[in-house]
Amino acid sequence: MAPRQQLAERNSISSLGVIAPPPIHVTTPTFDGSLAMLFQCVRDHKVHLLDVPLFPICEAYFFYLVNLDEADLDEAAAALTALAYLIERKAWMLLPVPDPEPELDEPLELPTPTAHEYETAIESLRIWHEERSQIFFRSVEAGPDPYELPVSLDNVSPGDLAKALEKLLRRAKPESIKPLGKPRKSLSEQMRIVLQTLSEDWRHLEDMIEEPFTRYEAVYWFLALLELIRLGQAAVRVEGEDVVFARASRNSTPVPATAE
Amino acid sequence: MSQIVDTLEALLFVADQPATIKSLAGAMQVTEGQVEQGLEVLEARLEERGSLRLTKLAGGYQLATKPEFAAVIAAFLKPQRHRLSKSLMEVLAIVAYQQPITLSELEQVRGVQSDYSVRSLVERKLIAEVGRKPVPGRPVLYGTTQEFLHQFKINDLKDLPEIDPERDDAADIVAKTLFDD
Repeated sequence: MAPRQQLAERNSISSLGVIAPPPIHVTTPTFDGSLAMLFQCVRDHKVHLLDVPLFPICEAYFFYLVNLDEADLDEAAAALTALAYLIERKAWMLLPVPDPEPELDEPLELPTPTAHEYETAIESLRIWHEERSQIFFRSVEAGPDPYELPVSLDNVSPGDLAKALEKLLRRAKPESIKPLGKPRKSLSEQMRIVLQTLSEDWRHLEDMIEEPFTRYEAVYWFLALLELIRLGQAAVRVEGEDVVFARASRNSTPVPATAE
Repeated sequence: MSQIVDTLEALLFVADQPATIKSLAGAMQVTEGQVEQGLEVLEARLEERGSLRLTKLAGGYQLATKPEFAAVIAAFLKPQRHRLSKSLMEVLAIVAYQQPITLSELEQVRGVQSDYSVRSLVERKLIAEVGRKPVPGRPVLYGTTQEFLHQFKINDLKDLPEIDPERDDAADIVAKTLFDD
């Protein structure tokens, strides 16, 4: 292999910093000269590439390769690079020209009116709201407490019931992963099960459920029990610090068939 | 007339929401004109003395305390006042002016996601669903409520201040600077 210095002397370096292509002469109806000259003219927009057929140039390049007496891969590569540039450039030029983008000489159309145009209105509303806070009206009677129990449970509070549920959940086993789409058990089915389990004797919730049970089952049990209490079919009372449940003595309302 | 004024005062005293002239006239078996006259007299009488005043809001009339008693009443009732944030106020203003409006239209005007603000205003009963837009997807249309009128002491939506689209504020100046060249 020739030393780097010798190569540099033998091969002229082009303005792009690459070795200039070999003096391959190309003759086309619109251009006559070397490949390097064509490359230079196209790059400098002196020749319109669309008018130059590339087929004769490619033929000339192959002729050069075939008749290359002394293998000089650097020169051959430089010629290939120049040819590839011309082919790529022409290919881009042959692509359909996209529609020119509209010039942004006017502001983009914004919804009318935009938020900032409400500044005056917002300020007025703020002042009115402030003024309104200075006057008082006869107040409407307060609505029902959202946490109020729908039925009277004597001395049993929602907190007592929540504590019973928490106690039950602590004993629940981790739930296994189940595939999606499993049919859900209806609450009315669960209510029937709970009703069968309830007896005249007062029992803790955790004593009624057969272990092991999951959190899902515990919640279902609790919801069913709440619904039975609401319907008057189950009774609840505080015993010590816990709540206990039993079947209600009266049995006036049947379990709904469609409760979910 | 004195009898009508006294009756009006009694009715308004027990009313826990704005009473319309029509409903007052119906209850008193008098004409709406007589009620209007009676309300004028009552308003003047209350302004002269006492701690109450006649307030016209949400399309009706209601007795309210005078502002000079606000501090002592607040100390007595300890009311929970919920301030509306700037974003909530902005959403409320847009709904008030553009109603009925869908969430996506609202977001188009604001340029930011507004579902939380809308939900919050619905919870405060200041806006509510008023229907569905007859377009694909049938999005919910929102409008202001009577509670909105009450909370802002507005008698009618027509009383809202006019918005000025020509207002030359900071955003306009920026837009002009960017696009005028």
